[in-house]
Amino acid sequence: MRSRQKKIGRILSSIYSYLVYLFLYLPIFIIILFSFNTSERNIVFEGFTFEWYLKLFDNGVLLNAYGNTLFVGFISTVIATVIGTLASYGMSKYKFKGKGIIDILLYIPVVIPEIVLGISLLAIFNLSNIPMGLTSLIIAHATFSIPFVVFTVNARLAGFDRSVEEAAMDLGAGRIKTFFTVTLPIILPGVISGAFLAFTLSVDDIIISFFTTGPGSNTFPLKVMELTKTGVAPDVYALTTIVFIVTVAVTFITQRDKKKPIKG
Amino acid sequence: MKRGKVFLLTTVMAVFVLGLTACGGGNKNGTLNLFIWTEYIPDSVIEGFEEETGINVEMQTYSGNEEMLAKVQGSNPGTYDIVVPSDYMVENMISQGLLMELDKSKLTNLENLDPAYLNPSYDPESEYSVPYMGGAGVIIYNKNMVEPGADFTDYDELFQPAYENSIVALDDFRSIIGITALSMGYGFNETDETKLGEIKEKMIVLKPNIKSFDSDSPKTLMITEETAVGLIWSGEAALALAENDNLDIAFPDKGMYLFLDNLCITKDAKNAENAYQFIDYVLNAEVNKEISSEFPYLNPNTAGVALMDDAYKNNKAIVIPPEEIAKGYYVQNIGKTVDIYNEIWAEFTK
Amino acid sequence: MKRSYRARNKTIPLLTTVSPVAIWLILLVAAPLLYVLFLSFLSTDGYNVVFLFTLDNYKNLFNPTYLEIYANSFLIAFFTTAICILVGYPFAYHMARAGKRKKTVMMVMLMVPFWTNSLIRLNGWKTLLGKTGFVNTFLQNLGIIREPVEILYTRGAVLLGMVYILIPYMILPLFASIDKLDHSFLEASNDLGANKVKTFLHVTLPLTFAGIFSGSIMIFIPSLGYFFVSDIMGGGKSQLIGNLIETQFKAGNNWPFGASLSMMLIFLILIMVTVYKKSGGDMEDLGVM
Repeated sequence: MRSRQKKIGRILSSIYSYLVYLFLYLPIFIIILFSFNTSERNIVFEGFTFEWYLKLFDNGVLLNAYGNTLFVGFISTVIATVIGTLASYGMSKYKFKGKGIIDILLYIPVVIPEIVLGISLLAIFNLSNIPMGLTSLIIAHATFSIPFVVFTVNARLAGFDRSVEEAAMDLGAGRIKTFFTVTLPIILPGVISGAFLAFTLSVDDIIISFFTTGPGSNTFPLKVMELTKTGVAPDVYALTTIVFIVTVAVTFITQRDKKKPIKG
Repeated sequence: MKRGKVFLLTTVMAVFVLGLTACGGGNKNGTLNLFIWTEYIPDSVIEGFEEETGINVEMQTYSGNEEMLAKVQGSNPGTYDIVVPSDYMVENMISQGLLMELDKSKLTNLENLDPAYLNPSYDPESEYSVPYMGGAGVIIYNKNMVEPGADFTDYDELFQPAYENSIVALDDFRSIIGITALSMGYGFNETDETKLGEIKEKMIVLKPNIKSFDSDSPKTLMITEETAVGLIWSGEAALALAENDNLDIAFPDKGMYLFLDNLCITKDAKNAENAYQFIDYVLNAEVNKEISSEFPYLNPNTAGVALMDDAYKNNKAIVIPPEEIAKGYYVQNIGKTVDIYNEIWAEFTK
Repeated sequence: MKRSYRARNKTIPLLTTVSPVAIWLILLVAAPLLYVLFLSFLSTDGYNVVFLFTLDNYKNLFNPTYLEIYANSFLIAFFTTAICILVGYPFAYHMARAGKRKKTVMMVMLMVPFWTNSLIRLNGWKTLLGKTGFVNTFLQNLGIIREPVEILYTRGAVLLGMVYILIPYMILPLFASIDKLDHSFLEASNDLGANKVKTFLHVTLPLTFAGIFSGSIMIFIPSLGYFFVSDIMGGGKSQLIGNLIETQFKAGNNWPFGASLSMMLIFLILIMVTVYKKSGGDMEDLGVM
């Protein structure tokens, strides 16, 4: 009786989670469908075509912008992850003056409206003569990503038993060796989650990118923004579809040959 | 860990794409940094210019005059060679010393322009700006969805309760406040505070009629018949008329909101010579025809328009009758009154 | 002797770990913040910023029209957060109860939509919800409705867009806190004769409160500022604080007022965070993934 009830409960909650996924994926299915639409207006599905995919390979600007986005996303993620992880580690381990200020400053990029951060970063870059382009984009993206890495690694460090580190040091390992062989492997899921969050934020950013980019370094979201101005063109849908399918494929392949899953 | 693997693969992808894109380039005759509105110049024109001159064009786009100004002021002087400000922004940029006085001897194709568009109020001697394209805030309506006899030559028709939740309007405070003022016989750039109070009152009547504010792609709502009436840019109207036969266009009697975007060279442009070449290239009648074919905006280039076919010339949303243009208004600098406008707009859209 | 050795030894690791972030934050966060603060005390001539000290921008914050916009904005943020909790909790619970392998799959599947540009995804919703969109056509074909219903360009649509964009920020911290729960607790409660509802209300819910609170902050804050959701889904008819600030920096051309609005927003949120800290909340639960 009880187990039957349990079973029904399980089925119901499975159905529920599928509904949530449906909610999350529904607009993406529409995008995929409309990337094959013959009509350029994208309002009603009129007919099936591969035209937009072929056109896409002609659109060097779009591909170039996508390359920029991946490049900026990758480099800024590496910077944010290194700085953020070190910061989280140091701040949770040591007490020092000014810790409270750093704590508050970490909140500012999350709180401050993007347009305000974008315009003020532009002012700072101009004052400091940093060339506007990929460099300024990377710095700006790392800036809004760092807090998310810190928060995520903090969460992992919260349950961290410091005695493990001390044991390693008692056994003669140096600080650096201890960090890399003992601490890092334990907090790694947090670090990787933080990196993922940073990367996701970077590849989706529009407003800060507009203000901090320079001539010749458009990013993909900036191009998308441009194209949404005239109603999203099907070639953007086609590119989105390709990116989506590649992401899913990569995820699926890496999932399959991994027997032991990690906890996030 | 598998997430690490995903990440690694992403990296590989990044490097791959970069490798692909890095191969392009090669600019033997220097560069031109063009800062222009989104969807305002065909790629084919840029490519044609690059081919003809060997100059490499770096294009960046914006979707608002103020964003452009912020970016130009915030970047190193001379970062952008050509900018394309609208009428009132030309005046503002001149007053801030951001634009270069043009050497017209370098612009041999200037004569292609309709003299009616030269020496405008915002640049009285046309010293700093060359008209590029423009448009008007027109009304389009769906003949099957409006009241019998409605022709929208009177702005007051928009205020009728019959059009509840059925208008798409420009997301532009100067436009809505301006036409409400016109409908009451006040100025398009009204600065009188009592009159602005009355305008605010009247706008409350209009509010329930607005279904959506959309300056980007209002045509979509008109084509799908989601809205009956649209107060939209003429360029958008032209596209909408081509897609749905039930739509018609109206030019209100009291005059329309006009805008004109201009090619300007920035004061400290690093590639001024290339910029002159580009402006002259765009003014060329054949090139201009290419632009008009892709973007149906109001075009002051008479020689270019002459090359277009009849369908283009007879489309009232593209080639707006000169007498309608003559009745129109440009946005003017209204000083501190803009704060009142902002407040009215906040009240209207909250 | 030993003590001083330790203290000296601490300096170098402290500097290597914390100074990069400190320098980065001072140059790229504190400096912009000071710039915004400075800007908020300046005037405009209607077009450009004028270097004239004034407090008007702060007085202007209390204009009744703007107060109403804050109220609306907070209301939408509140409902967004509430819906995210209601929808996200059962999902996170299910995820936490799943097998180890399934857990990972579920989490990755949750993140994948986020690598597609959010503007494009919102445009997907627009296609779905329009008068001639799928939802209306579907309901009409089923005979549930005769005339198309207005879904797009309403407050409801804005709310839907917000929930859609933000819900993972609720699910992830909820999952983290539910996942940490000790199974034996719940079983003990059940064994003691408490029914499921009682167990949930008196054991599960209080133990996962930190997750709810973290998620709430991570949703509440952005939903005050995501103006593009209101523009795309709501037709620009229901302004949020984010739209108001955006306008000041764009067409409204009043940067100083935009700056004072931003300072107010930062101030309000720092108060919220401080209250959370003081009430014993764990800062480290924020940003949990």
